[in-house]
Amino acid sequence: MQKIKGRAHLLPEEINTDLHCSAKYMPGKDTAYVAQHAFEQIAPQFVSGFKPGDVIVAGRNFGINSSREQAVHAMRLLGVAAVVAPAFGRQFFRNAINNGLPVVECDISGIDQDDALEIDLTAGVMNVLDPGLQRVFPPLPAAIQTLLAAGGLIPFLQRYPDWKVA
Amino acid sequence: MAYTLAEKILGAHADRTVKAGDVVVARVDFAMVHDARAANALKQLEKLGAKSLPNASRTAFVLDHYSPPPNPEAANTHIAMRRFADERGAVLYDIGDGICHQVLPEGGHLTCGDLVVGTDTHSTTYGAFNAFGTGVEGTDVSAVMMTGKLWFRVPETIRIELKGRLQPGVWAKDVTLTMLGRLGAEGANYRALEYCGEAVAAMDIDDRMTLSNHAAELGAKAAILEADEKTCAWLKAHGAREPRSVKADADAVYAQRIEIDAAALVPQVARNHRIDDVIGVPEVAGQKIDIALIGTCTNGRLDDMRQAAAILKGKRIAKGVRMIVTPASRQIYLAALREGLIEALTAAGASVEAAGCGTCVNITGHLIPGDDQVIISSANRNFKGRLGNPRSEIWIASSATVAASALTGRITDAREVAGGLWRAAA
Ligand code: SF4
Repeated sequence: MQKIKGRAHLLPEEINTDLHCSAKYMPGKDTAYVAQHAFEQIAPQFVSGFKPGDVIVAGRNFGINSSREQAVHAMRLLGVAAVVAPAFGRQFFRNAINNGLPVVECDISGIDQDDALEIDLTAGVMNVLDPGLQRVFPPLPAAIQTLLAAGGLIPFLQRYPDWKVA
Repeated sequence: MAYTLAEKILGAHADRTVKAGDVVVARVDFAMVHDARAANALKQLEKLGAKSLPNASRTAFVLDHYSPPPNPEAANTHIAMRRFADERGAVLYDIGDGICHQVLPEGGHLTCGDLVVGTDTHSTTYGAFNAFGTGVEGTDVSAVMMTGKLWFRVPETIRIELKGRLQPGVWAKDVTLTMLGRLGAEGANYRALEYCGEAVAAMDIDDRMTLSNHAAELGAKAAILEADEKTCAWLKAHGAREPRSVKADADAVYAQRIEIDAAALVPQVARNHRIDDVIGVPEVAGQKIDIALIGTCTNGRLDDMRQAAAILKGKRIAKGVRMIVTPASRQIYLAALREGLIEALTAAGASVEAAGCGTCVNITGHLIPGDDQVIISSANRNFKGRLGNPRSEIWIASSATVAASALTGRITDAREVAGGLWRAAA
């Protein structure tokens, strides 16, 4: 897979999916609406400051709580290039992979807002260009990298309907 | 080689031996979509564009979260679900039939050793029946309906042994709250749990379902119990396929082994906003409460109704307290009616509602607490604002504790209240 390059956009720890997209916006609100209100309860400036290609760098337990896939759809719509956190909610992690959003589980200490990041998913390395930090993480299993490379589970199954990678 | 329950069940469905950490594509026996995820699932299905969905008949569509629908969008989702079930042959559970995690086992859709997925984190509930049950999303269920398969990362397992028996008046809910206090919320993230030991063997199915269900708050991917005669008898009575139970190998490799002295546990409560801020009921006894809730997929079963009715029968809840009881399914509602529990609870001042997710989360809008009101609930989550007002407090406890607290208007150790059906340690 290609390297991901982007600017760090910090969020605190314990961001549950109610904070991604509050339940009050459901049901019936489309993803564009949810994306416009992403994280507004804890980081009101988030959406206005975020540019497509930025990387979310969050604290522990990002995406815990209910299994809402729409939280990931909203992030894809905002153009989030990857999410980096020391630990993710299990369901969020799965939804991210199913929707082609790279997720990196590693130590985030020392990363500041707007730091330039370079992530190599295959090698399991993230570089923080200035001040020159390096973080290593166990690379995702090959099967998951294939799903991510295809852009998620649906495009993957459209190409390989019997789950067999040619 | 030796294997955990999770490794055995996932391996059997992937036709190979697997170890924790492997990623497998495995056959799924049954899938579930509830109404809060159905719109997304239907959208993903459309994107997928599959010509046929051979596994739709092994998928249940459950109308439980928007029950009753709070707005036209929710009602329209219900229309789409009914239509889909009708056209594609999916199983439908309509409004009032009950909560997904209750109606799946009651409907005989799963048995020992099965691999079951549902669009909900509490799909771990199916582990009470020796099945690998786990939460997924709409994209996953679309894949299952089309291909009958799904990818899984085989989880590491934490084995929790409950040594000795629980004291009368202490329940599976108190066990989970104790574990939450020890491991923290998400303390079992990505992992499977296996609960075993004398106290688990002594539990009835209702309590075992609480144990597997509430493991979701620990972040668990699955929470699987071994099967015994009680499991098999329950499954047969509900029309499930012949149970073929799976056992863990004695020398399987576990990420962690935990021993709990079950006999030493006391009733627990999780304080407002944090499910892992857990304290013994005796230490907070006397805290004033305004609203008492019994219900949800964690503790809305017949045993919960029995506990509550035993405590409240012939009495009246405290003045100024609002109490809501929501049976987890229509079958439970009917059984509670036949046993006179609904009458006892209603006479005591509770409002009994139609089966469903009810007031677990602020969706239907029929329980919005006022500022500074304190709710004691048998539900599973107490995130700030879960019931629609961040200025209210949610405390989580067993149904017995909730009923006893409704009676006095203060958090109360149910064992100090006359009437409880305290299951004696035999
Ligand atoms: S009862 Fe509550 S936790 Fe259970 S499925 Fe319904 S909303 Fe979710």
